[in-house]
Amino acid sequence: MLRTKKLRLGILDAIVLAFAVGAVAYVAYRVDSVLVYKWDWSAIPGYLFRWDEDLGTWVPNLLIKGLVTTIRISIWALIIASIMGTILGVMRTSQRLLPRLIGWAYVEFIRNIPPVPFLFLFYFFISSQIIPLLNIGAALDNASPTVLAIVELLFGPARLVENFLSGLISLSMMSAAYIAEIVRAGILAVPRGQYEAGYSVGLSKFTIMRYIVLPQAIQRVVPPIAGQFITLIKDSSLVALISIQELSFLAMEIAISEQRFFEVWLFTGLMYFTVCYACAWSFGRLEKRMGRHLR
Amino acid sequence: MTEHGQDFPHASSPQDRAAIIRIEAVNKWYGDFHVLKGIDLTVGAGERLVICGPSGSGKSTLIRCINRLESHEEGLIEVDGIELTDDNKRIAEIRSEVGMVFQQFNLFPHLTVLENCTLGPVRARGMAKTDATALAMELLEKVRIPEQAQKYPSQLSGGQQQRVAIARSLCMRPKIMLFDEPTSALDPEMINEVLDVMTELAESGMTMLCVTHEMGFARRVADTMVFMDHGEIVEMAKPETFFSNPKSDRCKDFLQKILHH
Amino acid sequence: MSDSTTSIGGDPEGNGGKPPTSRPAPVWWKSTWFDIVQFVVLGGLLIWLTGRGMAAMDYRWQWYRLPRAFYRVIDGELIWGPLIDGLLVTLEIAAWGMVLTLVIGLVTAVLRLSDSIAGRILAKVYLESIRNTPLLVQVSIFYFVLQPILGINNPLWTGILCLAFFEGSFASEIIRAGINSVSRGQWEAAATVGLNRIQSYRYVILPQAVPLMLPPLTGILVNLIKHSAILSFVAVFELTTEARNLIADTFLSFEVWFVVGGMYLVLTVSLSSLVALLERRIRARG
Repeated sequence: MLRTKKLRLGILDAIVLAFAVGAVAYVAYRVDSVLVYKWDWSAIPGYLFRWDEDLGTWVPNLLIKGLVTTIRISIWALIIASIMGTILGVMRTSQRLLPRLIGWAYVEFIRNIPPVPFLFLFYFFISSQIIPLLNIGAALDNASPTVLAIVELLFGPARLVENFLSGLISLSMMSAAYIAEIVRAGILAVPRGQYEAGYSVGLSKFTIMRYIVLPQAIQRVVPPIAGQFITLIKDSSLVALISIQELSFLAMEIAISEQRFFEVWLFTGLMYFTVCYACAWSFGRLEKRMGRHLR
Repeated sequence: MTEHGQDFPHASSPQDRAAIIRIEAVNKWYGDFHVLKGIDLTVGAGERLVICGPSGSGKSTLIRCINRLESHEEGLIEVDGIELTDDNKRIAEIRSEVGMVFQQFNLFPHLTVLENCTLGPVRARGMAKTDATALAMELLEKVRIPEQAQKYPSQLSGGQQQRVAIARSLCMRPKIMLFDEPTSALDPEMINEVLDVMTELAESGMTMLCVTHEMGFARRVADTMVFMDHGEIVEMAKPETFFSNPKSDRCKDFLQKILHH
Repeated sequence: MSDSTTSIGGDPEGNGGKPPTSRPAPVWWKSTWFDIVQFVVLGGLLIWLTGRGMAAMDYRWQWYRLPRAFYRVIDGELIWGPLIDGLLVTLEIAAWGMVLTLVIGLVTAVLRLSDSIAGRILAKVYLESIRNTPLLVQVSIFYFVLQPILGINNPLWTGILCLAFFEGSFASEIIRAGINSVSRGQWEAAATVGLNRIQSYRYVILPQAVPLMLPPLTGILVNLIKHSAILSFVAVFELTTEARNLIADTFLSFEVWFVVGGMYLVLTVSLSSLVALLERRIRARG
């Protein structure tokens, strides 16, 4: 677009600033005069950390615990979804029609179904049928303390493992579809000439994939998958709807018990924002660093 | 109806050419890169100027400054008595007198050839549709493709597209025509059809500034040759002297490379 | 999240897209038809397994109770059941949501493309807030914080507004990308034939940008339908809420979820196919 280099303050700036100031003033007026709302942020720090008399130290409280669950479920979902997604993505670029059809059907299904009904349907189906079959509950009851400790570290509180697994599988299945598309794009981005060079040297399709195509595809695929992690952190909030004790669920509970909806929800939003923005920023830096030596 | 009964606007004779473009002490930077260094240039009405030089020498940047597609940071540019500043009214006035033909043609793909030509006169000048169409058809005949009027740019060859681009610029009845490497994006067999049109245009007396590598064309058509390198005008002379006896070594080297490939 | 619909793709002939030369038909176990047959068999197997699983469950299937959820005839009058009511609310959300999304998206895109520093900062702040917070949290903030502050007493419209701001961020990117995709040379050419900024937008840039924007913008409509389900979190009586209430009343979890899932799929798949059709037509026009 043709614009002069100097950034002058123009009419549009004035309009925008007037609008912003007006909006803030209106909100302040409504909150103070009409709702007569007394802001009280004092309860919040207590929900981040609390002083435990017995242990004599600061322990994480609900908000931090919720955040940990959120991150835990996001990491697990990313791992599972990456495996599933890579397989699906490779299937989608196969020469044979059958794997392509299967991959296509899966991706289109996930893409078109709303996440919330899918989550509910999956949860009820899984929790009422599959998990009792696997008998996880009984297994955990009889487990040794070490095994229990490991399970708690990886999956969270033992009595909620079934919920956790349900939510995890649903999230992973949804994410896998998007990762499949990322992987497919990465594979397709490798130029035809690479295959041809491999064939002309006499390599098999499998060898070409393994040593020539996939390494190049992986380069292109890592940044979007990192982005997918940030998406998972946000999407993990959905599992609050099936009572998994992650950050959004606990935020709701705290808001109700303290009757402080404004502060709690705004603060929770801030927590998510900080985590996501920090991840996005560090991924960006990493990408630039990696890019420098790849050129 | 057209203003004159003739093909392209007529010129004054070479002797009494008033300066129609004045460029004085113009400097421009891209960040730290000094792309135009102290350019001084005067172009008379009806004069044909060809600018050549290696890539990165600033020649495209210079002519793009004349119609404010780029802005010069220091110095004076005056077109037909109007000084080129940040004033939008002046820029619009200057642009209505200066036509430009781009290396990448830049035809409007969603409009027919005819609509490409009439868009400017109808929307910017408020000309009546019928008058604009008549004008456009006349100019399309001059560039020898009247039969393509209802086609879309994607249906034409590169050479045809560039000729449409020339006709489109001429529909605004400019006093000056700028050509930014008009044949560089064309396949070799189409270069001549465009150069022929440009030669005819030159012969009818249009003030032209061409950035080009086509030295044959330059020798035939130019009144003045300009050689630019690293942002400066290194040599400026009439074609006879320029080609046979270039003064600077840089110019000599450049001409050797470009005339012997 | 608003991607374009995918095609089956792949490179069946393995010859880099050159026109197929005549070659002997492949052996039957490698043929295309066999693949399709296998796929259908696989699908059938999946359905059969699900059926077996459903039959083996301790669950009394009561499909016969469902029609009542759609409609009832009382005293000769047709009364729509809860699922239809919910569907209509969902469609209402999608329609109004789309209108507001386009407005918000357009304003944001223009602000981002403008010369105004304040405008660009405002747009950036808006986009970053939406992108870095979950939709659930945004819905909660709109419902619990903004609704009382602004004095709106309508959960439905609060929900629509929230969704519009959410999808508006994607829409603004699509609009901005569409406008930017028109090459710089078009701006320059428009300027050299004497058009001013607004005229350039109107006669040269937008006619080229809008067809490119239509498929992804239709994808946003699909997303609106999908994301409308989250409003059940704040008691908006759209399709998912009605489904959950129905289940609470009748305990027909599976029947209801299957049917409701099917309803959503019909809506979204038909819209997605429309997107694919649009894309193909636009690519053909070139």
